[in-house]
Amino acid sequence: MTKQIELSGVNKYYGAFHALKNIELSIEKGSFVALVGPSGCGKSTLLRSLAGLESISTGDLKIAGELMNNVPPRKRDIAMVFQSYALYPHMTVEQNLTYSLRIRGVPKAEAKKAAEEVAATTGLSQLLGRYPRELSGGQRQRVAMSRAIIRHPKAFLFDEPLSNLDAALRVHMRKEIRTLHDRLGATSVYVTHDQIEAMTMADHVVVMKDGVIEQQGAPLELYDRPANKFVAGFIGSPAMNFVPAVVGEDGRSLAVDVGEKQTITLDQQLQPGRRVTAGLRPEHLHFVEPGQGVFRLPVGIVESTGSATYITTATAAEVTIVETARRPVKTGDIIDVSIRPADVHVFDGETGLRV
Amino acid sequence: MSDTNRNRLMLVIALIMAAIYLFPLYWMYITALKSGSEMFATPPSFWPSEPQWATYAFVWESRGMGRYLWNSLVIAFGSVTLITVLGVGCAYVLARYRNVWVDIGLFLILMLQVLPASLMITPIFVGFSQLGMLNYPRLAVIIAIAAKSMPFFVVLVRATFMAVPQELEEAALVDGNSRVGAFFNIVLPLARNGILVSAILIFMQAFGEFVYSKSIIQAVELQPASVGLNSFMGPNTNEWNNIMAYATIYVTPILAIFVLLQRRIVSGLTSGAIK
Repeated sequence: MTKQIELSGVNKYYGAFHALKNIELSIEKGSFVALVGPSGCGKSTLLRSLAGLESISTGDLKIAGELMNNVPPRKRDIAMVFQSYALYPHMTVEQNLTYSLRIRGVPKAEAKKAAEEVAATTGLSQLLGRYPRELSGGQRQRVAMSRAIIRHPKAFLFDEPLSNLDAALRVHMRKEIRTLHDRLGATSVYVTHDQIEAMTMADHVVVMKDGVIEQQGAPLELYDRPANKFVAGFIGSPAMNFVPAVVGEDGRSLAVDVGEKQTITLDQQLQPGRRVTAGLRPEHLHFVEPGQGVFRLPVGIVESTGSATYITTATAAEVTIVETARRPVKTGDIIDVSIRPADVHVFDGETGLRV
Repeated sequence: MSDTNRNRLMLVIALIMAAIYLFPLYWMYITALKSGSEMFATPPSFWPSEPQWATYAFVWESRGMGRYLWNSLVIAFGSVTLITVLGVGCAYVLARYRNVWVDIGLFLILMLQVLPASLMITPIFVGFSQLGMLNYPRLAVIIAIAAKSMPFFVVLVRATFMAVPQELEEAALVDGNSRVGAFFNIVLPLARNGILVSAILIFMQAFGEFVYSKSIIQAVELQPASVGLNSFMGPNTNEWNNIMAYATIYVTPILAIFVLLQRRIVSGLTSGAIK
């Protein structure tokens, strides 16, 4: 596999503010990469640096093997879909689609044909003569996508393209974008703050925080082996439970502090007495017969979505449990839950790094 | 008081205010049509008994109004062109960059706007005289008006540019355009209305400009209509009907433009400010 985008030692400063810190990232041709993180983590800055809308302060940025540090956006041969779609309001859909071709001097007839072809694949054929203001949100989204596709660029950059759509349409467009990506064999970089979008769409997820890449890898790798507490809490919904714990004297058990002290076994050997944080995913905590479980917990809040029930305990360190079987649980009940040793994530008490 | 009654009261007040405000205009129109004796009649008549339409032709001919209006047009178009060409770029830069220097620049621009023409004319006159600009008096007036009205234009057009989302420009850059190309292809068409409205306002200002023209242009054949109107005035002026006819000819086209474009002007002025 060839590398389509390579970033090495990339830093970006805005005056004294260090927006991107020593970014190392290589994106293979044909892959779908999601940049995900809370707002202000630098993911949009990174994307805009790829597009050339921001310059990087230090480091190397290569697209298809060519150094792009000081190349203006128009010569990078990349396409970008903006959060607000950024459709040109004074142009019809067709003019919006063909704008990039017309700038490059493609003959009119050819550009028109290209627009019709793309419109046919994205379901815009009937709308070519309309202006952006006459389109619905989903249609505008499609025009923005088509405008990117028409050029066959080296890479597609998406800047939170679905955040202005309603929930149902978002789920639908998620699949549509991924299908389109596969069909075009494109290389895509997708910025989102929604970890579900990142997990479902991408081959490779990059989790960022405060300008640093916290972890990158395949979606399930991030879910199964988060490198630190931040990634563990960010990936997965509802979020992972964190409870303070101390490694037992045998080194193979954890004394967990959830209201009352409880002991869970580990499948690894740790230094006895070490202070750690135990990470327990809500979906890994399961109900057991009274007296059989590791935890006896008082129920605080019960929320039912129909397919699953979210139970939050009334303990000092709140614990959320997701239960898909319907159970008559109500506030004030005492429940018994257990967890498999392999499902327990252990993080260092101070650094938050995975142990 | 019920809502409808209050609305009616408000309407009556508004009508009275409008009547007071527009009375001079009305007086201009009817005085132009009065005969010599009717003009000075006591009590004054509010409608001419025998409209004297011939006054217009007489004033147009005797005063050489064609030449005056032509000069006014030359000065107004010249100023608007100069201001638009220079001001659009300036407004764009001030709209897109935000830092201390831009703030200082804007402050200075607004400062210029505050200084009255009658104060500015002395240094301008001396400066132009040193440069030999007084040999080209209409050009000198165009430059002086451009300097005076530019701030107003820049502030208005800047607001228009700020209403054009930056993402559109970025999309154009990524689509393969240069910064300059994106400005002409995307930003300028979207700001067109605001620029047009501001230019019309500047045109109307420049068309009626008096202080600079009166001071700088000595030759009668190069003077604009505003100075021509002033030359009527003397210690023993009594030909009010001719003066009003002159004023009517001078002002009616501008009024017509304003009435026709009124809706667009108002929306153009506020669109930049609100969004």
